[in-house]
Amino acid sequence: MSEHVILVAGPMGAGKTTAIRAVSETPVVSTEAVNTDRATSDKDTTTVALDYGEIRIDDEERIRLYGLPGQRRFEFMWRILVDRAIGMILLLDNSRPDPLADLAEYLEAFDGFLQRGSLVVGVTRHDHAGTPQLGEHIAVVAQRLPGRSVPVLPLDPRDSAETRLALMSLIATIEMEAMLSTTRSTP
Amino acid sequence: MTAPHRDPDTVEACARALAELKDTCPSLVFASLVTDDGFEIVSSPSSHDDGRLASMSSSVQALADAVAREMAVGVSEYMIIAAESGHIIQRRVPGHQIVLAALFDHHETLGKALSVSRVTAERLRTLPGTTTAPAA
Repeated sequence: MSEHVILVAGPMGAGKTTAIRAVSETPVVSTEAVNTDRATSDKDTTTVALDYGEIRIDDEERIRLYGLPGQRRFEFMWRILVDRAIGMILLLDNSRPDPLADLAEYLEAFDGFLQRGSLVVGVTRHDHAGTPQLGEHIAVVAQRLPGRSVPVLPLDPRDSAETRLALMSLIATIEMEAMLSTTRSTP
Repeated sequence: MTAPHRDPDTVEACARALAELKDTCPSLVFASLVTDDGFEIVSSPSSHDDGRLASMSSSVQALADAVAREMAVGVSEYMIIAAESGHIIQRRVPGHQIVLAALFDHHETLGKALSVSRVTAERLRTLPGTTTAPAA
């Protein structure tokens, strides 16, 4: 069986834990602690190590989903989990003060991974905060990752169908980039 | 509610507890009290790692709790990292969202390290100003 390790990243409160709970077919392993940092996010709890869930695509393929802690002080967990990953869903809370800066910060933080791994950007709370628009997110991605195929989607992490669509878009992107890579390397 | 790491009374009580731990056990190399979500309340000696160790302690504690839940063995009581040059004991302060992480040198027996860390954690049980830790 082939297994795809997919990361779900993004700032605190973007919906990473919710998205994994929405789609995982196994009980989700969570490492939540009471949030004492209410200045950053007014959530009751926050992920301090990882979330873990699984999805079986078919008899031969399984996705292992790892949710990363959103706070920068847990960056060491990002480094641990990124090694085996082949793709990432980056969730951005569009109601935060500067979602485009969040996007740029994450693209920079995972620059090394993004040289080899695939990416889908999911913009959450897009219905509550219409700006920045998806086109602005796309422009930031295009500037930082020129020539790459990166789907940018509005996403409600509570909606299993939408989250699953983002996952399937990511798998399709991974397969397409692998195929293009093979084509380019063939004389 | 004031966060434990921002509450002067909690910080003072935690600093006192670590000083007493060091007095009791000279083999103590380093000790820290951190919140469940990874903020350092106090450490001895002072750390200069920008909170990195506090965050790691919090992550490791949360993973240990998750494993205990997964294995259905109840709430994790303490955790040991045994290394070549010492052992690290982590245990939660009963009733609080606070974790004690203590590094003892390799001359110390594991039994004593566990015992003194338990006494320190128990001593902090009566800390004011923090709420009871959530059930696992």
